Amino acid sequence: MINVKNLHKKFLLNKEQKKELQTNDKYALVVDDLSFECRPGEIFSLLGPNGAGKTTTLRMLSTIIKPTEGSIEIGGINAITHPNEARSKIGFLTGSTGLYARLNAHEFIDYFASLYGVNNKDLTERKNYLFDLLDMNDFAHNRIAKLSTGMKQKVSICRTMIHNPEVVVFDEPTSGLDVITAESIIQLIRDCKSQQKTVIFSSHIMGEVDLLCDRLAIIHKGKLKYQGTMSDFRKNMTETSLTGQFIKTVQS
Amino acid sequence: MIFTIFKKELKETLRDKRTLIMMLVIPLLIFPLILNVVVGLSSSFEESAESKTIKIGVIGETRDYFSQKLQNIPNALGPKTLIPYHGDSVKIRNDLKDEKLDLIFIYDRDFATKLENFISTQLICAFDMTQVGYKKRAERYIEQINIEEQLKRFQALGIDEQKIKPFDIVYENSASSQKMIGELVGGFLPYIFIAFGFMGCMYPAIDLFTGEKERGTIETLLTTPIDRWKFLVGKMMVVICSGLMASFVALLGLFLSINFMDMIPDPEIMKVVHQILSIGFILKLFLLLLPLTIFFAGIMVPIAVYTKTFKEAQSIIAPLNILVLIPAMIGLFPGIELNVQTAMIPILNIVLTTKGLIGGTVDYGLLAISFTVMLILASFAVTISFKQFGKESNILS
Repeated sequence: MINVKNLHKKFLLNKEQKKELQTNDKYALVVDDLSFECRPGEIFSLLGPNGAGKTTTLRMLSTIIKPTEGSIEIGGINAITHPNEARSKIGFLTGSTGLYARLNAHEFIDYFASLYGVNNKDLTERKNYLFDLLDMNDFAHNRIAKLSTGMKQKVSICRTMIHNPEVVVFDEPTSGLDVITAESIIQLIRDCKSQQKTVIFSSHIMGEVDLLCDRLAIIHKGKLKYQGTMSDFRKNMTETSLTGQFIKTVQS
Repeated sequence: MIFTIFKKELKETLRDKRTLIMMLVIPLLIFPLILNVVVGLSSSFEESAESKTIKIGVIGETRDYFSQKLQNIPNALGPKTLIPYHGDSVKIRNDLKDEKLDLIFIYDRDFATKLENFISTQLICAFDMTQVGYKKRAERYIEQINIEEQLKRFQALGIDEQKIKPFDIVYENSASSQKMIGELVGGFLPYIFIAFGFMGCMYPAIDLFTGEKERGTIETLLTTPIDRWKFLVGKMMVVICSGLMASFVALLGLFLSINFMDMIPDPEIMKVVHQILSIGFILKLFLLLLPLTIFFAGIMVPIAVYTKTFKEAQSIIAPLNILVLIPAMIGLFPGIELNVQTAMIPILNIVLTTKGLIGGTVDYGLLAISFTVMLILASFAVTISFKQFGKESNILS
């Protein structure tokens, strides 16, 4: 369960950023009073154009950065006051997730498992399960540097799921990936839902959202523009396509 | 948990060719290479200077008194060819300038007559002082002729040479061989260790901090339920170990060069060198290098955390090497000694303390001050690293 209330995030602007944004303001308000809820067994999608504040919101949920105002609860834990406890419940995957190229998949997964405090017995079980599921056994002993993009993405997925998290956060997980690899991510998100995990993912690809999500929130310039179920979104459409409706919502 | 982080980072670092070259290969080979080249070159220069037939221009004739004396000097003292200039002092000097001659002797026309009449006269000897061996050769020839002329005068005047010499002076060196070695190479050794300690820290620091940002792994790492300071400590430990390892390998390279490359022919000096390079000395040296290396890591980590790319980090950190080596160079100057003031100057204090350790003259009170100063600086540097590592703008930029 994720519970976000009145979330705000301000970033201090440096000279270059002020010039780029053509502003004299000291701060940029990236997330402006965002509230939403995401339940177990549900896929919640955070939609928005580039620069809408999706990644910043997900980074706050994952406790990488702290909100300026507002509250975040992850599985009943206050993520701002108890970030470590909250982190242990989260699996975080982005489209641009990097890997340690000089380690092999086994070493990489073992390292993250130890960071999450997974014991040896659970690690062996989880690793066997995930390596079989993702068909990783053939390349698990190869250095990550030598793996293909698809193989690397599988290692990333395995890392995200190794501690069996309650909450899984996907930030544009299919961005820049080929169709086959993107499909494996879509399948993973579905699996997470069937395992009653709380799933939140951000995207700007309406097709993916239509395929997967139960509820969605559309944000633009940090502000919430729409929140509701996917079926309601479809029902109330005044445009001919989901993309058209999305653009209309953003521009409203 | 810190150990888990340390183990993983060390494993990755040891698999990085660039770091391995800077941490192990270059430090190991630098001393054998430098010593081999320096010793080889200087001995070959000396040998060729000794055996070279030098062209000597004499202002007079080949048959005059001075030229004859010069000709009579055996070739064992250095082969030579005499060229007479028949009194042309302009041409002889020009030819020396144009390097047609190696050495010239200019003397009066009545040089022989003055000598015969026991009148003091002048002999000008000119040569290019930048050339190896010319000075030695000139002094040898002149001494030979001078002694002969002096003896002649003593005999003619009926003077016993011993009677006009009130005493023989014997200069004795009260410094022990260890102290001499300490003074001669004591400054150079820590200079090398400081340079390698810095180099050894540089690549891992950039790789483990800037590299983490560049590869996009920092976010993944920070979503794990581990306090950020633990990552910082684990990573810094690897940076420090790399710096110490580079210094240690440089010391090993030096030890191997001395032992197996016949660098020190004198067995007495060799014995002293072995005494100096004892386990106790190495431990004390590394005790001093530890806070220094932490300090280096503490300087580099905030920069590595702040910069966005490997290139950017390298372009900032690499010039710092020069800044760090300036106080180390001051330690090489003669007369600079470890006292309360110099013990307060970071890096210089390490150089001077090491000098004292090698020479066996170290004041342990001053050593303690140097160590404390470096420890305070190291703690300060680590605090800055911690503050920078925790900054959102540095993590996500």
